[in-house]
Order: sequence, then C-alpha cells, then structure tokens
Amino acid sequence: MSVRNALLGLLAQRPRHGYDLHSAFEALAGGREIWELKPAQVYTTLGRLEEGGLITPERVAQDGGPEKRIYAITPVGQQELAQWLQTPVEGQHQRNEFFLKLMLSVATSVVDPYLVLRAQRAGLYRELHGLTRRRSATNPAQALATMLLLERAAMHVEADLRWLEMLEPRLDEIRRQPLPAPELRPRGRPPRSE
Amino acid sequence: MAIVETRALSKIYGSGALATRALHGLNLRVEPGTFVAVMGPSGCGKSTLLQLLGGLDRPSSGDVLIEGQALAGLSDDALTTLRRRRIGFIFQSYNLLPVLSALENAALPLALDGVRPAEAQARAAEWLSRVGLGDRLSHLPGELSGGQQQRVAVARALVTEPALILADEPTGNLDSHAAEAITQLLRQVSDTWGRSVLMVTHDPRIAAYADRIIFLKDGTIVEETQLSSSPSAALSATADVMEVL
Repeated sequence: MSVRNALLGLLAQRPRHGYDLHSAFEALAGGREIWELKPAQVYTTLGRLEEGGLITPERVAQDGGPEKRIYAITPVGQQELAQWLQTPVEGQHQRNEFFLKLMLSVATSVVDPYLVLRAQRAGLYRELHGLTRRRSATNPAQALATMLLLERAAMHVEADLRWLEMLEPRLDEIRRQPLPAPELRPRGRPPRSE
Repeated sequence: MAIVETRALSKIYGSGALATRALHGLNLRVEPGTFVAVMGPSGCGKSTLLQLLGGLDRPSSGDVLIEGQALAGLSDDALTTLRRRRIGFIFQSYNLLPVLSALENAALPLALDGVRPAEAQARAAEWLSRVGLGDRLSHLPGELSGGQQQRVAVARALVTEPALILADEPTGNLDSHAAEAITQLLRQVSDTWGRSVLMVTHDPRIAAYADRIIFLKDGTIVEETQLSSSPSAALSATADVMEVL
C-alpha cells in the first residue's frame, strides 16, 4: 500500500516514466539498501493505478532508447493521495521477532536466553554504530531530511537497547513465570443458560 | 604492541570480612588507535579499572602494561612521569582550574613536565585550535559552556601527545547535543590523531561511537562487542566519504 501511494505522490510531483519512478522511490526512501524495489513491482503497480483511474498515460517519450510511457496523476488520484497523506501510520511496536526468540529460548532450553539477549544487544550496537557513522558523514545543510531519518532509526535502536537493559536483570524472574499461553476456552457450544 | 594491556588484574578494597572485590582477574588489550567503550552497572568496577590503567592506584594482584611497560615495577616517581607523558585523562566534571585561562589549563601538563612556558603555550594553543577553541584561548573556564570546558579538557589530555586517553563519563554533565559533539571529538582523537581511547559511559548512544564495547560486571568482563571490524575498516569508510564529497 505504501509503495503504491508513494508512486502516486511522485507522480503528483511531476509526470514520470516507470524507470524514473523506480529510482526516485529508492532515493526518497533512503537508498536501495534501505528499501529495494523490484522494477516489476513498479510496472504492475502502475497497471493497477491506471485501471483504477488514479493515473493516466500522458505521452510516450523516446530519446534514442526504447519507448517510455510517461504517466500523470488524475484528479481522483490526487484525492486518494491527499487521503493517504492524512491517515496516521501505525507502527507495529508490539510485534517483535526478538521477543519470540527470547520467549522460545526460555521455553525450550535449546539456547541459553542470556546468549540470545547478548547476541541481540551486539547486533543493535553494531547497527547503532553504523547509523552514527552515517549520520556524522551527512551534512545537515544539504541533506537534513536524510539526517533526520538516520536520527529516527538511531532513536529506535537506542530504545531497544534501553529495553534490553531493563529486561536483563528480570530475565530470571521471567523464566520462573509461565510462558504466555492461549486462554483456556471451553470448546463446542456454550452451555445453555437456564 | 598493545597500547594498554592488563594481565589478571585484581583489586580488593579493605580486608577480612569487609573486603570488597572491585576487579577480579580482568584481561584486556587495547590496540593502537582504537576507541573502546566500557559499560556496566554501577559498582561493576569501571572506575577502579580506569584508576588502575591510569596508574592512579596499584592493583592487589596482576599487572597493567602501558606500551609494553609493566607498571608494577615502576617507582612512584617513574609512574608519575609515565602517566604525565603517555596518558591523558578526561573527567565528567572537566576538572579545570577555575583561575587559569583555557590556554593555561591546556598547557598545565607540559608546565608540570618542565617544558618552557613559551613552548608549552604554543603547543597548548595548537591543540585548542584543533578542538575548535582557537578563539577562546584567554577565556576562564567559568566563561565557557560545559561543552567548551570539556573541549579544553580534551586539549589538555592531548597536549603531551599521549598514547592513551582515559575518559570517565566524559559526557555525564553535558546536554545531549554537547554530549554527541564531545564524543565525535573523541572519535576524531582516535581516527585522525591515532590515539587509543578508553571511555566509561552509561549511555548506549555514546557507546555506539566506539570500535568496541566491553561490558563489566562484578569486576570482570562478561561481554565484548566489536562494532567496527578494525581501525583500517574505519579508515576505508572515511575514504569512501571523502570520495563522495
């Protein structure tokens, strides 16, 4: 959904062809290593947007190479874009893969939970180190938005690290408590009330 | 050769039933030009470690080697000289002398080492301008912000061209902006000026600037994380940036 709407937004900026959209999206998202898009995805998305009447092929450009269809956003597309921009993004803050790993290491004794925690901490610190280096190398006078995107990522990693610090001294107590399990619900038809 | 190395370093304070084991058989190696962060809960032995590495206190057993020189065999005078010439200290509360100017503060270790005042001041001025305080030489500490005072302390630590910088919570008294700026300066101390830096901190964001983090608990290293592959990797990263610019 976000890719589809972002492409719509890039077409609201100005008419573009598929290849142009592809590279513009990756650059905007923070680089290919952050959000890689398959060219095929761009073309199927463009097809669907056109079917829905949100964009329209404006003209065909041919500058020596193969023909390129240039798309423009329609008024309906503009409306849909405006709505998307004003809808808050829901972060999946509670859904956490590391939490699954930690709880399953507690439940199974395949790997010591402390090792699982330490591996995670090491990974987070390496990530934060990389973000810090890249942020230091970013010039805020030219690329303030990129710097703030890096800052956002650093803040989230930092929050995860602080959470691990909070969790570590409580790990033994977590091990003593029962693993979160499904609530027991009576099966079949509920008993008829009198 | 490692800049600093410890061998089964232990420190016990007090004796008998009241004895507290602050460090317990700690082994550590810091290579030239690396930036190491030391983390751990309070009471884990971080401060004791810095005291022993800096030769400010003697271990109960084990030894510290600075550039291959074992501290245990040194007389107090020889230890003081080595500390003054090869180790720079940075503290949480800057520890500048309030009646001396930035220039006089930064020149102090050289003055104590018997360097002629004119030369000491010239070298101090050079370091102050490298840390961005070239226009604050005659200011008193009280006329400088916290971040600027800590920069004076960094210049003072570097003025003797030491091999090792020991920093004890250097950003503990600073707001987050100044804290990052000082840590970037410490990064530069390692990347540009090739010194080894050992920094105690509580702050994950500050620790993440280092090449390596060691976690202390109950007087020993319980965990160690390499953040960048090696100093040469850091150099090639710098080269990449230079190419882009």
